[in-house]
Amino acid sequence: MSHEVTGAKCTSCGTTNYPKRAVCSNCKNETFESVAIGGVGKVLTYTDVYALAIDYETRYLRLAIVELDDGLRVTGHLLDDEPKLGKRVKTTIGVVRNPGDKPLYGFQFVPT
Amino acid sequence: MKPVYIAGAGMTKFGRSEWSLIRLASEASRSALHHANLGKIPVDGVVVANMGAARINKQTALGSALVDQLALYPAMAEAVENGPASGASAFKVGCQAIASGMADVVLVTGVERMRVVNGLEGTDFVASLSHPEAEYIYGVTLPSLAGMLARLVMSRHGVERKHLAMVAIKNHENATKNPYAHIQQTVTMEGILTLPEAAVNNPPIAEPLHMFDCCPVSDGSAAVVLVSEGIAAKLDAPKVRIAGIGQATDTHAVHEREDPTDLKAVRLASERAFAMAGLKPGDINVAELHDAFTILEIAESEAAGFFPRGEGHKALERGETKLDGKLPINPSGGLKAKGHPVGATGVAQLVELAWQLRGEAAARQVKDAKAGYACNFGGFGNNVVATVLQREAK
Repeated sequence: MSHEVTGAKCTSCGTTNYPKRAVCSNCKNETFESVAIGGVGKVLTYTDVYALAIDYETRYLRLAIVELDDGLRVTGHLLDDEPKLGKRVKTTIGVVRNPGDKPLYGFQFVPT
Repeated sequence: MKPVYIAGAGMTKFGRSEWSLIRLASEASRSALHHANLGKIPVDGVVVANMGAARINKQTALGSALVDQLALYPAMAEAVENGPASGASAFKVGCQAIASGMADVVLVTGVERMRVVNGLEGTDFVASLSHPEAEYIYGVTLPSLAGMLARLVMSRHGVERKHLAMVAIKNHENATKNPYAHIQQTVTMEGILTLPEAAVNNPPIAEPLHMFDCCPVSDGSAAVVLVSEGIAAKLDAPKVRIAGIGQATDTHAVHEREDPTDLKAVRLASERAFAMAGLKPGDINVAELHDAFTILEIAESEAAGFFPRGEGHKALERGETKLDGKLPINPSGGLKAKGHPVGATGVAQLVELAWQLRGEAAARQVKDAKAGYACNFGGFGNNVVATVLQREAK
């Protein structure tokens, strides 16, 4: 089974809203098509976090905000042992949380 | 709009408390009511600020519960939940009731009792304010959002870890002069940054932020009594007027903001508060900023208009934000050392300002303070309330 992360592409102005919302943040239109997002981009910022919430499966994570080449920004896990601001990465999809009943899929960034 | 005054202010000591949630709220409220010395003047309304009682303390309808404790029936009552900005939001609701003429006396009480759960559950409770699908599922917590902001600000504006440590050192020092503060201990640059032992004393939480860049988890309550002009005139006390309130929102997910280092909601809320007050940032004598993380004090001091963008850390370095500086920031110790019982924080900032403007802040009194500013930073900057208070001649 393939997994993807989707945004809401406005049918009026074409802006992709991610995360999805009910009203387009650019033009206030209310109809969207669901589109897969992701691709290649650069690390805008990242952190190594040791203070995770209860019930998270690990006690350490490297999180990042990535700016994709199409201008969209996304948050996810950074799988890179040599992280750097501005470094080129691409999005992959993997299990980001596994609370037991149903694994949750999301962005994992890896160097290009 | 009719003028609104703070007639009384009080709080409990912040820290770990054995008191129940409602006991905390009722102690802070009684202290504020005694301070206001209303005599036979009735309280028309009660607004309680709280974020987590439904989840953490298994209690709801806190407005009704507090009215009952204080025997204030049949006063109007409700609770306001607006994340970490609940306190200043509740304060705004109280002001609106008086400004509209609907009430003459309103008690606003912020309260949180979060030490009853372990730290990891507390972290999760606060993290639940992040975007469920785009942030929370990845393990995003408030420290991690602050860590990502800090790294970006540091790379762009020349802020170093030593500047973050300067915020902590200053606020811990101020807190030793505040008997209500959670942490009554000074820290040094050597102990938290430069000596080899600092690696043990000050472990990383969300790089580049370490433990001493983060506020503690606290229980506590703070309260103010708001009154109309007519009531204020009857009381024999210094008059502190609510000169301006501004509130602004921004995108839920931090990554969507055009420039994540620009605290836009702080900027807009502050502009609105200053416009309503007819004052400029340069008119302010004392400020309480929302330093849940040290980087936020620096970033907010710029967004509020006190220093040019990218220069907050330079003002800090020059000592301008110390207790005896040009603009003392967080004389109370801030969230960093006074503590951060989430729902109480926004009210506690205004309690400190009211005391400062009345000249009642004892060892941490800012000389001749006539105008004060507070920034209550909700969400991770997506819902901010800024307040300007002014001392009026008697």
